[in-house]
Amino acid sequence: MTMQTIENKVLKEKMFLKELPNGLKVIFMPKEGYTKQYAIFATNYGSNESQFIIPGEKDITKVPDGIAHFLEHKLFEEPEGSIFDKFSELGSNVNAYTNFTSTCYLFSSTDRFYENLELLINFVQSPYFTDENVEKEKGIIGQEIKMYEDNPNWKVFFNGLKAMYHDYPVKIDIAGTVESISKITKEDLYKCYNTFYDPSNMIVFVVGDVDCDKVCSIVEKNQKKKEKLENKIERIYPVEPDRIVQSIIEEKLDVSIPLFNIAFKDIDNDLSVDKILRKDIATKILLDLLFGKSSDLYTSLYEEGLINDTFENEYTGEVEYGYSMLGGESKNPKKVLEKVLAYIEEIKSTGLNEADFERIKSKQIGEHLSYYNSVEFIATTFVSYYFKGINIFDYLKALKEIEFETVQKRFHAHFCEERCVLSIISPK
Amino acid sequence: MLKRLKPIAIEKQIKLHIIKTDKFKTNLVSVYFQRPLAKEEVTKNALLSMVLPRGAKNYTSSKALSKALEGLYGAFLGSDVTKKGERNILQFRMQLANDKYVEDENVLAKGMEILNEVINNPYIVEGSFKDDYVNQEKENLAERIEGRKNDKMKYAFDRCIEEMCRNEPFSLYPYGNIDDLKNITSTSLYAHYKNVITSSPIDICVVGDFDEKEIEKLVTEKLKFNQKEVIAVKREKIEYIPDEINVVEENMDINQGKLNLGYRTNIPFESAMYQPLVLYSNILGGGPNSKFFKNIREKESLCYYIFSRVEKFKSLLLVGAGIEFENYDKAVSLIKAQMMDMNKGDFSEEDIESAKNSIITSIRSMTDTPHMLADFYYTQAISNNEDTLETMIEKIRNVEKTQIIEAGKSIKLDTIYFLKKKEEVR
Repeated sequence: MTMQTIENKVLKEKMFLKELPNGLKVIFMPKEGYTKQYAIFATNYGSNESQFIIPGEKDITKVPDGIAHFLEHKLFEEPEGSIFDKFSELGSNVNAYTNFTSTCYLFSSTDRFYENLELLINFVQSPYFTDENVEKEKGIIGQEIKMYEDNPNWKVFFNGLKAMYHDYPVKIDIAGTVESISKITKEDLYKCYNTFYDPSNMIVFVVGDVDCDKVCSIVEKNQKKKEKLENKIERIYPVEPDRIVQSIIEEKLDVSIPLFNIAFKDIDNDLSVDKILRKDIATKILLDLLFGKSSDLYTSLYEEGLINDTFENEYTGEVEYGYSMLGGESKNPKKVLEKVLAYIEEIKSTGLNEADFERIKSKQIGEHLSYYNSVEFIATTFVSYYFKGINIFDYLKALKEIEFETVQKRFHAHFCEERCVLSIISPK
Repeated sequence: MLKRLKPIAIEKQIKLHIIKTDKFKTNLVSVYFQRPLAKEEVTKNALLSMVLPRGAKNYTSSKALSKALEGLYGAFLGSDVTKKGERNILQFRMQLANDKYVEDENVLAKGMEILNEVINNPYIVEGSFKDDYVNQEKENLAERIEGRKNDKMKYAFDRCIEEMCRNEPFSLYPYGNIDDLKNITSTSLYAHYKNVITSSPIDICVVGDFDEKEIEKLVTEKLKFNQKEVIAVKREKIEYIPDEINVVEENMDINQGKLNLGYRTNIPFESAMYQPLVLYSNILGGGPNSKFFKNIREKESLCYYIFSRVEKFKSLLLVGAGIEFENYDKAVSLIKAQMMDMNKGDFSEEDIESAKNSIITSIRSMTDTPHMLADFYYTQAISNNEDTLETMIEKIRNVEKTQIIEAGKSIKLDTIYFLKKKEEVR
């Protein structure tokens, strides 16, 4: 199949895309002068896939919580031992992560890139699960779960999701619980593997100062024997109501000061690709406009000692769901919420300031440029946007073109008290 | 292309390090003030790093400053304190979009003006820093000091060092302590500021795409320091032979125990044994190919994370792991056993090769991140080390097994620190 070339003149970057006969997508971005090479092999399969129909079957398969992450751990195991040794010999760092929508295997190297690339593809495509090695992993992941249980930032984030979502699996911990993973068997793992690690559900993204043709020919040759599934994966998601579960969720941990997270649940989901991108950009501009360091609200909260420099905001916009979050440490999270909501009401009547909008836009343009310094950032961001149907090269153009009116509309639609939750982790 | 120029002495104790490369979208300017790590001033240095960005003469509030930075294509301005051995470093960092990528021709010059404002031209009310700013930041700093315990992994790691080095300046937490913080006033902080800007050795690192002559001119023109009597910071004492193992346990209401072991290596970074020591630590607990990972995590399923690392300036080796509370004895004896094996030479040429490759990869990888490049050359400068990256790599390559075993012999356990659950009886 032919290679597609995409060029971005502002970024002065290029990207090459190719789809192989078995459905695997290969994307390469050259980075001249970079010492590091970075590759990700990713599947569009994360912790949100808790129910699905296996191609060729009729019934719905339900899997234990935390299985996508468990699978990620287990793929590193080969009959002859752990794959880590082989990457170590090459001096490269191999790693993996699982989030709500994807599982990504990656390495960074400064030498012998092509050998590393083959190793990456081969190990992800050769599952080896035994009763014994599955059992052994439960102890390790159990400690990983416990580590997160002691992490107040993680808890305050997840509790916020639990307060927002009734049924959507984003409320389930990515790693599951000690209890849920205890039920995982090697058969479950193979089921998930065979369904979601089909080449047509996966991409290979490579960035670095390497040869494009060689990258493609290595992957192509490697994939010749790997066939595509005939049937489409059917993912089953519950219908999530617009309303939130509870407006306040609170938990106590051994911390010095309360941590909080204020979240706004999106209801405007299931949009076309360019609408998702515009929503993403508009929301991020709004978050900076309303809650960024130059905003009136930030200044007054900061000067009253209600927030400190841990106060941050972010927007997550997936195809099926989305939310804005702002949070940090505060002596009085409830007071912060009160002021946030009052401020939103005030802006709803006085309106947003267009000059501020222009300034924030140029800020975000500069920030976006700086992200392209990092091959890790390019690779991980590319993957997460790609699975939503967006190419990150389109981001900058859309950011430059976004209009004040779009942002105003988004403001009124998104920041509503009835879809706002407050998650607090308070000291014991 | 990456080109590192010979450091330029702008003034007697102000050095400019230029690292020229066209691969980034941004330019970076880092300014470092070197202070001794000392109880009398560590808290003040931390507070200073927080008060200065609150206002400058021409940007009298954080809001005004933020607006200026946003308008300059989201220029990033950061200020922070760290410790490098027993040096307390006050640093300012500004990252700006390179003109090539935006419709503006003077981003760097404008950014340097702001950076200079924040460092050298603070907002002064009645002869000192503004009281409100100082008081607000005192409160924020107190929250930060008290907030140490929120990150259990880092807390346990820091506490182990604190206990081990309790009679040495290295035990000091870079953000200081509450008691000293209480006594700081706007006046005393301003007096300290005057002292810092006049008496500290200063280094400036610029990383990016520019003409070297122009950048030198720009730095000299825009950054107006006021250095007078400069006080050099001394090399720390590093030789310690612990007479007995110091065991410290602390309670917290947590789900996972944090075990940390602190060792004295007695190997200065200037010594030819330093590279063998780095390899020792890497083979022991540097990554997924290490003895710790293979034996304690994979074989025994005892933990998710376990590591060993070397503290360069203070010659320490630090081990950390997250474990079940009841596995304390087992974990400690397994860690000791791995080290015994290392000392006996129970590791292969492949292990050495893998460790060398992994270290070389990290050295090379630094060149792809602007601030890591700046920090690397700064660290070289304060270590009086003129090795290039290639020389460093060469030194790692040349290490032999006997040297690694030799390095292991001088490593002595000093402190075991365990963060465990409240009321848990072991």
